[in-house]
Amino acid sequence: MKDLLSYAIRRFGWMLLTVWAVYTVSFVLMRAVPGNPFSSERTVPPAIERQLRARYNLDAPPIEQYTDYLVGIVTRGDLGVSIRLEDYTVNEVLAEGFPVSASLAILALVFALTLGVTAGVVSAVYRGSIGDVALMATAVLGIAIPNFVLASLAILLFVFLIPIFPAAGWGTLRQVALPALCLGAPVAAYVARLTRAGMLEVLGREHVRTAFAKGLPKSTVILKHVLPGALLPVVSYLGPATASVLTGSLVLEKIFALPGIGSHFIYAATQRDYTLAMGMVLTYTVLLFVMNSLVDLSYAVIDPRVKLQ
Amino acid sequence: MPPELRRLFAILAVVVMGIAVVWATRFDSMPPADFSIQNGTDPKTLDPHRATGQPESRILFGIFSGLLQMLPDGDPDPETGLQPMSAQPAVAKSYEVSDDKLTYTFHLRDDAVWSDGVPITSADFVWSWTRMLHPATACEYNFQLFSVPFAEQFSSGIVNVGDRCEVELFDRPNPDGTTEADTGELNIQNFPRGTMLYGTLREIRKPSEPEFDDSVSEEDREDAMVKWQEKWVYVLDIANVSDDGEVDWDGPTTTQTFTAHANSPIAEPDTRRIHNVLVAFSKLGGVETPDDRTLVVNLKDPLPYFPSLTAYYPLFPVPRHTIEKHGMPMWTKAENIVSNGAYVVGLRRLRDRVRLVKNPRWFAADEVAIETIDALSTEGQNTALNMYETGQIDWVTDPPTALMETLKKRDDFYAAPMLSVYFFRMNTTRKPLDDPRVRRALAMAIDRQQIVDQVAKAGQVPAYALVPPGIAGYEPPPGFKPDIEEAKRLLAEAGFPGGRGMPKVTVLYNTSEGHRAIAEVIQQQLQNNLNVKLELQNMEWGSFLDKTNQLDYDIARAGWIADYADPNTFLDLWLTDGPQNSTGWSNAEFDRLLKAAAAESDMATRMKYLSDAEAIWIEEMPVIPLYFYVGINMVKPRIKGFFPSPQDLHPLHLMSIDDSADPKVATDRQVTPRVVASNPPDLAVPSQRTSVSIKPIAERASAK
Repeated sequence: MKDLLSYAIRRFGWMLLTVWAVYTVSFVLMRAVPGNPFSSERTVPPAIERQLRARYNLDAPPIEQYTDYLVGIVTRGDLGVSIRLEDYTVNEVLAEGFPVSASLAILALVFALTLGVTAGVVSAVYRGSIGDVALMATAVLGIAIPNFVLASLAILLFVFLIPIFPAAGWGTLRQVALPALCLGAPVAAYVARLTRAGMLEVLGREHVRTAFAKGLPKSTVILKHVLPGALLPVVSYLGPATASVLTGSLVLEKIFALPGIGSHFIYAATQRDYTLAMGMVLTYTVLLFVMNSLVDLSYAVIDPRVKLQ
Repeated sequence: MPPELRRLFAILAVVVMGIAVVWATRFDSMPPADFSIQNGTDPKTLDPHRATGQPESRILFGIFSGLLQMLPDGDPDPETGLQPMSAQPAVAKSYEVSDDKLTYTFHLRDDAVWSDGVPITSADFVWSWTRMLHPATACEYNFQLFSVPFAEQFSSGIVNVGDRCEVELFDRPNPDGTTEADTGELNIQNFPRGTMLYGTLREIRKPSEPEFDDSVSEEDREDAMVKWQEKWVYVLDIANVSDDGEVDWDGPTTTQTFTAHANSPIAEPDTRRIHNVLVAFSKLGGVETPDDRTLVVNLKDPLPYFPSLTAYYPLFPVPRHTIEKHGMPMWTKAENIVSNGAYVVGLRRLRDRVRLVKNPRWFAADEVAIETIDALSTEGQNTALNMYETGQIDWVTDPPTALMETLKKRDDFYAAPMLSVYFFRMNTTRKPLDDPRVRRALAMAIDRQQIVDQVAKAGQVPAYALVPPGIAGYEPPPGFKPDIEEAKRLLAEAGFPGGRGMPKVTVLYNTSEGHRAIAEVIQQQLQNNLNVKLELQNMEWGSFLDKTNQLDYDIARAGWIADYADPNTFLDLWLTDGPQNSTGWSNAEFDRLLKAAAAESDMATRMKYLSDAEAIWIEEMPVIPLYFYVGINMVKPRIKGFFPSPQDLHPLHLMSIDDSADPKVATDRQVTPRVVASNPPDLAVPSQRTSVSIKPIAERASAK
């Protein structure tokens, strides 16, 4: 228990350090690229641009901007006002969009795990059968097809040919089903392959042979003696899976017109919305770091061989 | 790790997952509105003085009303189906113009109120226009009021000795009841203002001007100059102000000194700290309020299109009581905003929608047929079309370009000429484009018909001039003709016979499939017709704008949508050193003609001046006009009252719903097999481009 706590503290320290590094690099990069938040096809007169710069503290020396903004984040958790969406603060943008993206990610991950593990177990148990081949072929396809292509096919199929889902939008379970499926499908495919490989490895172990020899029913052996061991690689894949679901949602949010934070990420970058872009980068950094730490942690809990360093 | 703990952990994980799923599937669902519009993206802001683009304007025209409003006038054009519009009474029930076209007297309606019941008075307009022009508001459309005396000077913050000025003391009220003077902290809210004093500027005392050696960068130099200007001390003869706000300019005065800097080195002990000294725009007779219901505007130039400017959102009134209470930008929150249009904002959700609800207090609320409207932020062209086909959207404003040919044949597809032009800027400060003959040669050798038919495809009109057709009273000069032989001759005359010796010319465009396709066609045409080689270079939006503004390009694409229905909106782009010029082109006669036109009160003579100016422009050809845009919309047959208009304006309060007109929708709003059968793959497959690249709003704002 003690090493768990010290691990958590150490990871937290690393996270702060990472976030600070990301903050610094993003800050420098954003100001190094040409253009500024106020450029538009209609040239803004210099006098007006000066007023705007003053409003967003962009007229201060860079070092001062750097520290002012950092202090604001650390002391007040205040990511500033969005420069392009001027009616909103960055915190408000996150508060509105994050639950949507989170819902989508959770549903996609749960769907991916349920489907992937089931498919993996089935194809390992019936190894070599037509079912196994079919499932694994589907899985390869699933990994290979990018999710926006999948989304287009899904829309064609389930919106136009068999109209059971609405084309886009947010607010009902039916509306979220299609994007969650498309987002989760590639992950599910990967999970299925991992589960199958893990299952096959464990199935060949001696303790499993012993269990069968004891005369335990097949389902008991699979669920109690094979699956826990076989799932270890799946658990370690959850970190990257979260990352893929979070970044994948950028594209799907646009195709399905979902009000998540993903599209703000692209917008903020292309429009030089310094504050919003920073808010997005930091949010994603923290999110990915926390998810990865949780995965590492649970990995150590499940697998007695792993020691937390 | 003991096994019990491990089991506990497994159970915990499952429980957490369960909770997460339950949380993720809880939605506060909302019934759809009666009428849904694809608004393209989120409005940047709902503050009429800060907004610029089309997504903003669609909503602002719905929720605010100006003195006048653009309404249909006369019969639609039989050829194009275009419905002419003109400025007609809104908050003003009538207006008069003096014979010299300089004085407008607006009579406000007695029943004009804000959506919270507060009456709208003529003083609201003076306050709103002052706020719009105030330098710290940074309204990009401030120039629309520059025909009012002192407006430009006020807005640019320039004061000269002898000017009648206003001084804002450093005591703006804070929301908590204190003032800046109490706390010493700067309050960036420019309204409500601090104590205002009025007087004549006698002297500006300046500390010694900072000196720079050559190593100092442009930026640091500018920065130092601004800091230096802050330390200036202004000496004014402050006049008395009567109780009703009248300034007694010629009466007794007291001399006082002011400075914007907290501790200016040349300040005297009694020098008072201020925000700024500006020309006293609101007290110098440009706009007058004889009573609560009358607004008099005295222009300095006889602007024939001034009435239509008052029907455009930068000149709309904004609710002073709400802005002063909540400040900027908090007053635009759905729960705070008060407006005076046919609709009010019911709800605002980022990346999702702005819900508009009928405003029962609007002066013509009886005529408003639709109760609720959703302006959806749907961005994807294919997404919007999918939603349209399945009945989730009733009005698509940006149909997929790839499907234009198929969509064009449908009855619910509207394409009508718009006052806007797509063109290539040329850098006239660089060889070889500094030679008008080369510029003309390039312009003449391009086959615009091919571009319009094969690339743009929605029925755009080839452009051989700058000003789009369809402006009443304007007789355009004869444009140029595409003529390859003449182009070859001009090029030879300029010293590049058969394209030999012509330096490499690069075409710069912002990254987009559409712009690339057009640039490629032109590259091909110029190669074939003139043996001139173009290089193409694409750049991401921000960098592209930077390059264009800094004149660091050879040829760069651009587009412009009319700000008002007058040739001037296209012509004044090219004034010498104009902010939008960005070509380095300058022509004294052109400048003179535009100036003469601005001062001319006779409509016909004015138009003649403008037409002459355009003729010079065509002769000199600082840019290559390519085509005039069309406004493209798709609207469900069940929506009545939609018609194409020259500025792509579609008043929401004129629309109504007739479900019987659209039996398909009335019986089943889910499926429309017709289109799917005709073109299924294209319809549903969002191209990779539309799914990963997002068009900047600003681009959409001024040019699609």
